[in-house]
Amino acid sequence: MCLVSLPTHRLTGPSEKQRCLAPPHWLHSAALKIHNLQELRHNASLATKVFIQRDYSEGTLCRFQSKFPSELDNRIERSLLEETVKTLNSYYVEAEKIGGQSYMEGCLACATAYFVFLCMETRYEKVLKKISGYIQEQNEKIYAPRGLLLTDPLERGMRVLEISVYEDRGSSSSSPSSSSMSSACSTAR
Amino acid sequence: MSTSGADSLKPSAFIPVCTAACLLFGSTSLFFVFTCPWLAVSISPAVPPCCAVIFLFVLANFTMATFMDAGVLPIANEDEDKEEDFRAPLYKNVDVKGVQVRMKWCGSCHFYRPPRCSHCSVCDHCVEDFDHHCPWVNNCIGRRNYRYFFMFLLSLTVHITAVLTFGLLYILNHREELWELHCTVTLVVVSISGLFLIPVLGLTGFHLYLVFRGRTTNEQVTGKFQGGVNPFSRGCCKNLEYLVCSPISPKYTGRSFKKTTVHVQPPFLRPEIDRQMPLKLKDNGIQSKDVSKKVGFITLSDTSQIKPPPPLPPKPDHGLLKSHLAALDSMLTLASEQQTNSRSQERSRGSPVAGIQPGHDTSQSQASLHTNTIAGSLPLSSLTLNSRSLTLKHNSHHGNKGSNPQPGIMSATNLFPNHNSLSYDNLMSSPDLHMLSQRGGATMSCHPHFMTLASDGSLVQRPPPPHAYSPVFMGVARQSPHISSRDVPPPSAAARYDNFSKTIMASIHERRDIEERDRMLRLHGRPQPLFGVEMGIYDIPSRRSLPPDNIRQTGSRGPTPPAYGSREFLMSTGILGYGIRSSPLSSSSTSSLTRGPRTSTSPLQTSSSSSLQTKGRTSSPLLGPADRQPQPLPTFTATLPRKPSLSSAPSYATYATTKRSSLSYGSEKDSPTAGTLK
Repeated sequence: MCLVSLPTHRLTGPSEKQRCLAPPHWLHSAALKIHNLQELRHNASLATKVFIQRDYSEGTLCRFQSKFPSELDNRIERSLLEETVKTLNSYYVEAEKIGGQSYMEGCLACATAYFVFLCMETRYEKVLKKISGYIQEQNEKIYAPRGLLLTDPLERGMRVLEISVYEDRGSSSSSPSSSSMSSACSTAR
Repeated sequence: MSTSGADSLKPSAFIPVCTAACLLFGSTSLFFVFTCPWLAVSISPAVPPCCAVIFLFVLANFTMATFMDAGVLPIANEDEDKEEDFRAPLYKNVDVKGVQVRMKWCGSCHFYRPPRCSHCSVCDHCVEDFDHHCPWVNNCIGRRNYRYFFMFLLSLTVHITAVLTFGLLYILNHREELWELHCTVTLVVVSISGLFLIPVLGLTGFHLYLVFRGRTTNEQVTGKFQGGVNPFSRGCCKNLEYLVCSPISPKYTGRSFKKTTVHVQPPFLRPEIDRQMPLKLKDNGIQSKDVSKKVGFITLSDTSQIKPPPPLPPKPDHGLLKSHLAALDSMLTLASEQQTNSRSQERSRGSPVAGIQPGHDTSQSQASLHTNTIAGSLPLSSLTLNSRSLTLKHNSHHGNKGSNPQPGIMSATNLFPNHNSLSYDNLMSSPDLHMLSQRGGATMSCHPHFMTLASDGSLVQRPPPPHAYSPVFMGVARQSPHISSRDVPPPSAAARYDNFSKTIMASIHERRDIEERDRMLRLHGRPQPLFGVEMGIYDIPSRRSLPPDNIRQTGSRGPTPPAYGSREFLMSTGILGYGIRSSPLSSSSTSSLTRGPRTSTSPLQTSSSSSLQTKGRTSSPLLGPADRQPQPLPTFTATLPRKPSLSSAPSYATYATTKRSSLSYGSEKDSPTAGTLK
């Protein structure tokens, strides 16, 4: 139900005493366009990117800041993003842990003159795959419905966690009212 | 890895590595051929196998050190670059375990180098935990391959020592046959080994020292932690353990990232921003479910936008309503045009697209635009109800209308697109007049101040609205006093109302409006959204053109809100709006940089990447101020087309618009230079 469409009904109302300034023809077409709101597919366009930087307070270990970017204030709940970052950080801690498995890998690599790297995947790589899957899942479940997309930090050299912010570009209504209206307006112009 | 400027690909760069490889292979082969048979016989059969194992180890580490990616950081995207580039300082400080570490901006790679990262001028890329560029392997030594390099050095030392020792043993046992082939060859091998043992041993000892201290060659040579604490050192043993046993970090470049598509399709969920908004919606149960989803930001924008405008004159007639409707429609579209124009210009794009804005502002703008076209009657009616409730509180003798006002309000809201104050005013006024014409006193309580003003207007005989207004609003504006004069309020209501002093009532309602305005602002608690700024702009000329509120009592400006909406809005949003809009819209940077002027020497300071000065970053800061001079907004659009002509940057009309405009020029690879059009 679009507000723009309603006037068309009203304009057919009574009392023609006053000089009726009919809306331009394009406004009707815009109204018609918006009437078909439900049938129109929404399109999203990339609006901006928000970057969550690395947290170097504990050295060069891979950690991302848990500070919530203000640009996402009205896009996503703080708790969700913080949870995501916390989980990612924990994954990275697990990947970079020096322990039994990393010893074994090192010894094996030395013993085989590093040929083992041709056959076997290191633990870090395995955790990276887990991280990639996690990010994919988060994107599908949480971020994409909110018009956001996380980019795997690996693609950015583990320097930033990139969050792409999408806006409703709109061949249809809502905020695309701007585009539909603008297109209507531009035609009028 | 390799760019045209990478020196590591030059033929001359391969000489040391080829020399080293030849010497290594050659000498060892000769040793095995000529010396080892005697050693196996005379000393132990285990000598050759051990030497072979050591040599294999040397080779493996040599290969890994030569061909393994050292931890090259990929060049930052221009999207990331944009927010860093513009007027960003050369250094950024971070706190690493209590020690302030400086992160330097890399002009070639377009990011602030992480701690311990450095740019290799030979290979022309930034390397994580950069140690040095080793010519003997023609590769950078960094985070990923430092252990292999260190192991190479260790094993090479052992190997050279072994070869030297066993060679000397052979020679000492064959002093009489020195000029025989075997002896001569062994002598040569021993000489080479002895020659290279000293530097290799020295280098090995040096790196052993670095490992124990937890430093890189780069840090040692530049004296970074000479006098202070090294925050990256974990202690002697832990450093050694980290060197040998830590997991190998992944390669960043040359990875094939499997692109799994995630569909991002609107409508997007939004967090519940204002809890109060749904309450208002609940008040008006008439609202359709369709709008309920968009309630969050509709109402948000509406309420934030609707700074209480001056009250409109009452509009009693259906006919008048129709004309008002038409006027409002025109104004709405014009306003939308203006908004989209302004917004698009802010984004430095010619085409009006509602997409590219920072999320914060986008939601505002979207909401504002949304309200223009969507049946925003819900928030408006709720707002009307709220204001009505305010009036109702003060007019005790006016009872609650019950449901009667609502239809009127609903009709009003449905009639008039919620174009900011105008629609608000229409809401306030039209139901009044409508109901007045229909019913009477009860409606008076809804908007008594309007009636007051109307009556004031009619009484005071307000001058007609200026002709400069748009024809629509001229008609409307003129109609309002017309209407007010023609309007025949129900005698009972008028009589009842006239009991109060008109000026007193006007002042009371003004105060109420102001209170409500403040309340709205406090509810949202944020700086004016985009549309709200426009409202502010809207207000500004209206404040100029309209008398101040205290003069409203005289009713001189009561009936002129349409004019308030029309010409001033058009002019202001067209011209002044941009300049005013840009200022409050300074978006915060996520990188929390202390914004300061990047010195013009910054490109020069990134001397390690001097070969890549051509990336365009250097010129941009110089261009920036020049481009910035012709600021005023009329030239805003003029500057916009210039941006692509510049080698790099998207034009940033103001710093506030940097982020918004950045993505519009994302296609430019070299671009984001600092503040070109600031």
